[in-house]
Amino acid sequence: MDWTGYENEAGSAIAAASTAAELDEARVRYLGRKSELALALRGVRDRESGQLLNGVRGRLEAALDERRAALERAELERLYAESAVDVTLPGARFPRGRLHLLTQIRREIEDIFLGLGYEVYEGPEVTDVWHNFDALTTDPGHPSRSPTDTFYLSDEVLLRTHTSPDQIRMMESREPPIYMISPGRCYRRDTPDATHSPTFLQVECLAVDRGLTLADLQGTTLTFFRRLFGPERKVRMRTSYFPFTEPSVEFDVTCFICGGAGCPVCKHSGWIEMGGAGRVDPDVFRNVGYDPEVWSGFAFGLGIERIAMLRHGLPDLRAFWDNDLRVLSQF
Amino acid sequence: MKVPVSWLREYVAYDLPLAELARRLVFTSCEVDRIVRRGVPDADGNLGRFRVARVVEAIKHPNADRLQLCRVDVGEAEPLQIVCGAWNFGAGATVAVALPGAVLPNGVALERRKVRGEYSNGMILAEDEVELGTDHAGIMLLDPAHEPGTPLADVLPLADDVLEIETGYNRPDLTSIYGIAREVAALTGTELAPPPGAEPERADDEPVDVQVEDEERCPRYIGRLFRDVAVGDSPLWLKARLLGAGMRPISNVVDVTNYVMLALGSPLHAFDHAKLAGGRIVVRRARGGEQIRTLDGTLRTLATEELVIADAERPVAVAGIMGGAESEVTAETTTVLLEAANFEQLGVLRSGERLHMRSEAQTRWEKGVAPELAEAAALHASELLVELAGARFVGHTDVAAPLPGRPTIRLRPGEVERAVGIAVGEDEQRERLARLGFEVGGDGLEVRVPAWRARDVRREIDLVEEVARFRLEEVPATLPARREMFGRLSREQRLRRLVGDVLVGQGFFEAYTYSLQPDDPNPDALVLPEPLSELQRVLRTTLLHGLVGSARLNVNAGTDEVALYEIAHVYLPTGERLPEERWHVAGVVRGGYFRAKGAVETLLEVLGLEQRFAAAPHPFLPSPACAATEGGWVAQLDPRLLDGEWGAFELDLDALFARVPERVLYRDVVTFPPVREDLAFAVAEEVPAGELVAAAREAAGHELREIRVFDVYRGPQVGEGRKSVALALTFQSAERTLADEDAARLRGLVVAELGRRFGAELRA
Repeated sequence: MDWTGYENEAGSAIAAASTAAELDEARVRYLGRKSELALALRGVRDRESGQLLNGVRGRLEAALDERRAALERAELERLYAESAVDVTLPGARFPRGRLHLLTQIRREIEDIFLGLGYEVYEGPEVTDVWHNFDALTTDPGHPSRSPTDTFYLSDEVLLRTHTSPDQIRMMESREPPIYMISPGRCYRRDTPDATHSPTFLQVECLAVDRGLTLADLQGTTLTFFRRLFGPERKVRMRTSYFPFTEPSVEFDVTCFICGGAGCPVCKHSGWIEMGGAGRVDPDVFRNVGYDPEVWSGFAFGLGIERIAMLRHGLPDLRAFWDNDLRVLSQF
Repeated sequence: MKVPVSWLREYVAYDLPLAELARRLVFTSCEVDRIVRRGVPDADGNLGRFRVARVVEAIKHPNADRLQLCRVDVGEAEPLQIVCGAWNFGAGATVAVALPGAVLPNGVALERRKVRGEYSNGMILAEDEVELGTDHAGIMLLDPAHEPGTPLADVLPLADDVLEIETGYNRPDLTSIYGIAREVAALTGTELAPPPGAEPERADDEPVDVQVEDEERCPRYIGRLFRDVAVGDSPLWLKARLLGAGMRPISNVVDVTNYVMLALGSPLHAFDHAKLAGGRIVVRRARGGEQIRTLDGTLRTLATEELVIADAERPVAVAGIMGGAESEVTAETTTVLLEAANFEQLGVLRSGERLHMRSEAQTRWEKGVAPELAEAAALHASELLVELAGARFVGHTDVAAPLPGRPTIRLRPGEVERAVGIAVGEDEQRERLARLGFEVGGDGLEVRVPAWRARDVRREIDLVEEVARFRLEEVPATLPARREMFGRLSREQRLRRLVGDVLVGQGFFEAYTYSLQPDDPNPDALVLPEPLSELQRVLRTTLLHGLVGSARLNVNAGTDEVALYEIAHVYLPTGERLPEERWHVAGVVRGGYFRAKGAVETLLEVLGLEQRFAAAPHPFLPSPACAATEGGWVAQLDPRLLDGEWGAFELDLDALFARVPERVLYRDVVTFPPVREDLAFAVAEEVPAGELVAAAREAAGHELREIRVFDVYRGPQVGEGRKSVALALTFQSAERTLADEDAARLRGLVVAELGRRFGAELRA
């Protein structure tokens, strides 16, 4: 038998195979169980011809593997070439909605306070004069009580003008310590314009514990605003008046647009007014049955729309209530 | 409140740049809106171009009948020629002149120019041209004692800064220049001048007939009589101060009352005594239907709640708010009755609300003015009437209820630190309080509150604030020492967030719509008696209408794909005092009923709730397709409500959350293989697929793990009036592998039950 001729013939057949089937055909023919080579190998009795035939088989198998790999590569290349696309064409989108910007900010505020160990309390929006004014030691002559400022349903029932009635409800419901925030809708008889809406969202913070001071209020607002507006922020307190806090302050935060250097957002003062605050008035504690000699507290309130407008540069707060998707989808 | 700084400095000569003073006032006392420079600009030596001058010669302009040609000595070697349109002066008059190059308050720059052929080197000034008054009838005539060439700014208040501040409800004392001066004195450690005014000599002792019938609303009434009053113009310094404070000069007598109100914070009024019937003052309630024409020219009809100042016959003023036109001081007035009274705050507030009136006096009474101040105001005004109007002070009466008294409060020295968190020494506390006019005596801190703060400072904590507000800039930032933590959302709050997230994940945008709507389907919904507008009138019991409005807005804006949802309160009438507020979720989506239902199904699935839907009429809308589900409904919207194919839903979240399982228990769906079967049933057209599914579940029990409708077919093979409903069933047991016989048995149960209940025939 001319094994060199056999090897050459088989080698040519393998090299000529252009499909997996042709290749397999060549394998069966030259290396299969019934091939001349297999039959001859089965009959080998001496070492010399064994070495020769195994050598032929080994080389043919290697050639076969090599050819198979080449064919697979070519097949894959063909597949890639067929499925090539313009990857810059638009994708097949899943539908996407959005939380309202005000909810996004509300959740952000809630999450900051949850991280500070506060709970979220939500009271009713229709409330009585006791919870909205009396218990909060609001003077009978205070302008906020006037029907020109407040929506009354009757002499006794009204739409809450701030979230502060939640302070009273929370304190009426249990003993200190209390660390809570209460976000929600409030109502005032303001004629709608770019910065006023008769319905608006407030969030209020109340802490009642032993030994709380204005310094704790300062530290809490500082921590909060740094988490909301960045670690560079500073806060300051200015004297003010609210019926239910004593001392009362307004607090400002350094402008997060210009960093305090002065810009149109902060009216070139470097500071942005954020809200009212103070130490809980001892008479408020008396109204809910807490002993002001034992307990002390602080509270502060913020407007959610204001934060959204300042941070995102929205010029008109009425946009929040229009729900124009061209606007909502930006945030 | 507008505070001319030159006036402020008359009471307190602080040594601080104005901007720094404003900055510190903001921390300790009140908002400062801005600092306004008024009068003649003083940049680039402009003030130096305003001089005192003496008229050397004044003749008619050769080319103009209505102009004078003047030569005036302005302190230079040669007199200047100036053309002037006024005729209230002649040679020898001492006048005010602006030289060429001078810039007037209105921004006009003067230059040497020809007027009808004659040069005019500047301008002889009228008071309105330098914002010292409003008069333009003639030029200002100055005291002849002033030398020509004297800078005009040395003689007249040509320029001033004005602090515009906002005062809090609790600080009536800051509605006066003297009160602000007191604050500045305390803030800067500067001495405060004694209150302005010295009692003039009483020329006679005529009786003043004042009777107060309502001492509660008028706790004090000082009446003073002045004769030989020469009503005329106020001096320029006074006019300038009034203008700087934002009030118009009227006449010396009226100006004095306004000036003293601004100086001391206790409003006054001047009556023409001759026009008071019987020469009397009676402070009483209005008689029903009584009328008065007030100074603003309006004829007002008074209710019996209104407190009036009356003469023997009729009201001559609405107490604390506005005087009457008929008793007004005029150029002919010679006898004046000066009222320095005190009116109780709530009475004035309510009268103002009822009569829809607003005045400078009223805004002060509404904050509560101390009755003690009336005395100081009467004294200062008397002095000025004598000095400026040549009046003789001839009568005085003071009708007063017992004064409310000034509280004495004990301040424990440690309380400030307890509130503020910084140590403040007892001496410092004592000094700060004393500077504000509190009397601090005895051992420890026994503090007597001054009259002007008696309404606001009643308790120890109020004194704490009086000290603390001067240290706010130094308060450090600390955090509470916590013993207990609460940082977790409640179950309902977490679920509510989940509902929002699931809807957002399905492509819905969250909307915020108003709680107050023009209408509501519930006839008992709460209605505002006095709404701001008809569009925001009713407290809603459904979120649907707000969303429909927003959907419409988007369609009109050209947005095609609209899917909106809202989570908010509704306000359900209860018949009790307060409504029941419940959380609802509602959605409106383009594409019809099945899109809305799909969203709700996903929501129910995520919440772990059963899908139960049954055809039902909509609770309040006409709807071509509507299903009731747990806590709410899903519906196709009537095209009259929203044009096109729209689906909507609304669910009561409280009802939904009540059924959400506390925890989800593991079911084994992995160990034993499921057996899947597709079965098609022919049934009558009117049989709802949902009932087939429910019946199949009942029949097969817990081994029917899943069942869903995957096709509904109508056609000749099924027959007229019938449809084929194809169901995909998955049988699976958690305990064993279901054998073919088990599957056959379960299928048999389903087929038998649907046949029995609905006449359903299994199709091949």
